[in-house]
Amino acid sequence: MAEKRRAGVAMSGSCELDGAFACESGVSALLGSSLFTLLESRPRDPVGFLAEHFAHLSAQDDDAGPEHQAVSRALWNLSLAHHSQRSAFNSNTRTAFDLLTRDRGAGVVGVRGRLYTEMLRCLCSEGGLSGSTAAPLLRRVQCHDHESVPFELFRQGVLTCAVFSDYIRASQCLYGSVASASDRPAERALGQAVLETLREALETADGDDVGRYLEASAKISPGEVAKAMAEAHPGNQRENPVMDAQEFEDAAAALFIARVRMVT
Amino acid sequence: MKMNTDRFSLTVDEYLAETNVLFYLNDAVTQLLEHKEEYTQFGVVRYFAEYFTSVKNGNHVLFREFSYIKATPHNRESFIHIFWKCFRQIGKNGDLLAMSEYSSLLQLLCPDFPTEMVQNTARIVLIDDATDCLSFSDFIYSFQIQFYYEEFVESVSVIYQDLLSGKNPNTVIVPTSTSVEQLSGAANEEPDVQEGVDSSIFCECIEGLCERFKHKFPSIVAIKEILESSQRVSFYSFLMTLAKHEGVNQDISALPNKSDLLIDPEMDQELERLIAQVAISPTSNNSSSSAAGQKETSKKASPRKSLHQRKRIEMESDGSTEETDSSEN
Repeated sequence: MAEKRRAGVAMSGSCELDGAFACESGVSALLGSSLFTLLESRPRDPVGFLAEHFAHLSAQDDDAGPEHQAVSRALWNLSLAHHSQRSAFNSNTRTAFDLLTRDRGAGVVGVRGRLYTEMLRCLCSEGGLSGSTAAPLLRRVQCHDHESVPFELFRQGVLTCAVFSDYIRASQCLYGSVASASDRPAERALGQAVLETLREALETADGDDVGRYLEASAKISPGEVAKAMAEAHPGNQRENPVMDAQEFEDAAAALFIARVRMVT
Repeated sequence: MKMNTDRFSLTVDEYLAETNVLFYLNDAVTQLLEHKEEYTQFGVVRYFAEYFTSVKNGNHVLFREFSYIKATPHNRESFIHIFWKCFRQIGKNGDLLAMSEYSSLLQLLCPDFPTEMVQNTARIVLIDDATDCLSFSDFIYSFQIQFYYEEFVESVSVIYQDLLSGKNPNTVIVPTSTSVEQLSGAANEEPDVQEGVDSSIFCECIEGLCERFKHKFPSIVAIKEILESSQRVSFYSFLMTLAKHEGVNQDISALPNKSDLLIDPEMDQELERLIAQVAISPTSNNSSSSAAGQKETSKKASPRKSLHQRKRIEMESDGSTEETDSSEN
């Protein structure tokens, strides 16, 4: 309330002068567009968002390495909403796409393949994936440097990387619960039983999306996983009785990657 | 500044209100208009970037007026954090300071910081002993409750007084022999520890308050935990327990836990370096004190100190002012 009063004093004292200043210096337009951008993406931490937003804008004025800047600004836009907030995520993806295509001449549609691949690599590493885990996926979704990536392909690539990062995190949690203690590796038989359940869940029959989601979540429900683990026979693999976290992660990643269509 | 509700289901106005964005934009523009020439040269976009970065990092409250510091929970949290960062060396030194001295320290960071806030803090802490001086950690945790939850503390005080004066019929059971003392105690707003009100009724009333409360309040879980541990409770013992509650402190997240409050290895190294310098050239320490703040601190502390200790204090306050400067940039 005090701030309103203070602002009120500033406004009423030299209202016209300040208004003119705000127009001339472009402050009104700047704030209007910034507020609009903020409301478009509704970040969790709006103050941090505005800090970065203005920093990006002022860096643009300096004009250093425009291409690198575009990629980092695109990545920043993509990080604002989780992909489960699908419409916000799609809108941010569009913004990122526009940022990366802005400097291309008329008549050319799409992002340069090189930028697209670089951005996906950054997206994976920001999602906490190691280079070796991300590499097989990137081989499937990346483009040649000289190719042009249209929006729909761009959106799919981005979404695939985002979902893959979540999937790997989830599979790491799954391994954590299969290994009874954090300092001991999981038994191979149990790990394989869980991976098998995971594979079955991913292999849903053709049908509408809702039906497939339900089928998959029924197959990977805690009850099903517990049943599979109870039925596993630990005595079968004498020579290599344990499975470490990396091996489990790789196997889980392979199940996912096998379902990603190769970009041609 | 995290949001609890699903931000995508809010209306635009609700989203903006919840996040105080308009308050900060308003303040940024007001500041800009007050210093037009300076900031236009600096670059308006860069000015906004700097402004919001400092809000994000929490050093935007430094040297600002009290009404600004108080205006949002984030500002309050930032101010408590900055106060701790600047003056924790005092706590480390083990000095007990008088309330007027804490008031002066606060006014170094916020020139119009009201002494009333410090007096209210004193009431929370000084309940057990009659001394005027306080350790840094006792002060800062109580100050945090008083400052961060000011509106909550005020409302609870009203509830407490109502219960004491018997507005809720089943609350106060007054033993006849002490009834006169109790009445006078209630009138002075300083009830004795032994007296107080029934905890469970007090707790119910506070819960009722929180349901419709617009300002920040400590988590209900913590309040219940505190009030369930005894049958009767006095207002200030309740606030004191709240001030010492680790969960409440973590929720505010301006200060570390008590065990880490005074740990500051970087500053210790710096101090050791300075002490070593002084040992080599004894005159060098006079030249390094220039800022008004550190003069005041050392002046206030000096009558009770030996010459050796005085030197140490001067250097320590020197160090903390340096840190203040760096966080401002």
